[in-house]
Amino acid sequence: MNDAKKFSDERLNAFVDNQLGTQECDEILTAMATDAELGQRLCELRSIKELVRHAYGRVPDTRRPANRHLSIWSSALAAGVTLVIGVSIGWWGHQTTSAQASTGEVASWSERLFATEPARILIHLDSSQPEQMDAALDLAEAYLAKAGSARVEVIANNRGLDLLRARTTPYAARIASIKSHHERVGFIACGQTIARLRGGGEDVALIPQAALTRTAIEHVAERVQQGWTYLKI
Amino acid sequence: MSWLQSREQRELMEQIKASRSRLYRIAFAWCHDAALADDLAQEALTRGLSRLDQLRESAKFMSWLSSILNRCWIDYLRARRSDVDDEQLSELPSDLPGPDSHAERQETVNRVRNAIAALPLGQRQVVTLVDLEGFSYAEVAEVLEIPIGTVMSRLCRARGSLKELLTEQVAAKPRLRSVK
Repeated sequence: MNDAKKFSDERLNAFVDNQLGTQECDEILTAMATDAELGQRLCELRSIKELVRHAYGRVPDTRRPANRHLSIWSSALAAGVTLVIGVSIGWWGHQTTSAQASTGEVASWSERLFATEPARILIHLDSSQPEQMDAALDLAEAYLAKAGSARVEVIANNRGLDLLRARTTPYAARIASIKSHHERVGFIACGQTIARLRGGGEDVALIPQAALTRTAIEHVAERVQQGWTYLKI
Repeated sequence: MSWLQSREQRELMEQIKASRSRLYRIAFAWCHDAALADDLAQEALTRGLSRLDQLRESAKFMSWLSSILNRCWIDYLRARRSDVDDEQLSELPSDLPGPDSHAERQETVNRVRNAIAALPLGQRQVVTLVDLEGFSYAEVAEVLEIPIGTVMSRLCRARGSLKELLTEQVAAKPRLRSVK
């Protein structure tokens, strides 16, 4: 019997993908020694696999065309704000302290961490819709007004960067006013978004109140790690 | 404790930095649109960051993020095709334009991407997760929320179709060569 017929395509794919056990691998390797057709089928599968990898070895720059108006997430995000409080503690705190403390002790550790800190709020905006920008600034002002010692940051990336761009923001005066009344507020622009826009030929100038961070995601991760309250608009 | 936090933070930064480009590559292989792939990767990371407490095994960080990317992709497709369910979505014929517009692509890369673009979505996802990310079949099953048997059958059909498509495309070109 021809060995090539004995092995299904699914099994040979699993062999090429290292998904078979030792015994099954041995069976195929043994059969290959005497069955040229089987060897040819496996060669073709390996070739396809390598070609797929090669095709995406280098992918296009993530640069976004300047005139592209993204709306795919608007339906999901327009519904409101996602609130997360110190989300990273559950995983990272547990992972690194489990050798020293029980789960209950980890929980109390994270509770203590938050209890000793004043309110620290990170508001994340990635939409250029005016109502979303408005919501971000409303939230920032609300927290600043409610808790005098609160630290508030508004971080903008993707289309949300328009809030902090001199030529596009409808809220330059409002941001200037907030900044002049509150020392503990920051408006942060995503450096990666800026680089992408500039790479596409756009002139990106920020309002004077804006500070720069390397990437929004890293900034969010860092703040969350530090126990900030994260609000996604 | 400060040392621990610092180390945790460094680990998190490294994982996030590494995962962003990987997510982008997967998303690009699925949609062949750089800007959309960037949005999908960004959204997956954003959603992931807000749900880190749901991740219990750091070793599964990438497959966990990939499953979120898959949900983002499905959400995107659903916004365009609300009349079909998940199973039908996976079998939808491709409407991707293919990468012909990217003039700088090498010919082989173009041919393979064209062939992948022609695969039904479910097959395209499986073959790219296995070949690009090196996920096991069990991990792909978890990421896409489908049985392992479905992973295997989709992969089998995907590679069979790729072989045919590439053979058609290169009828006048050199044939596929074996690769060590």
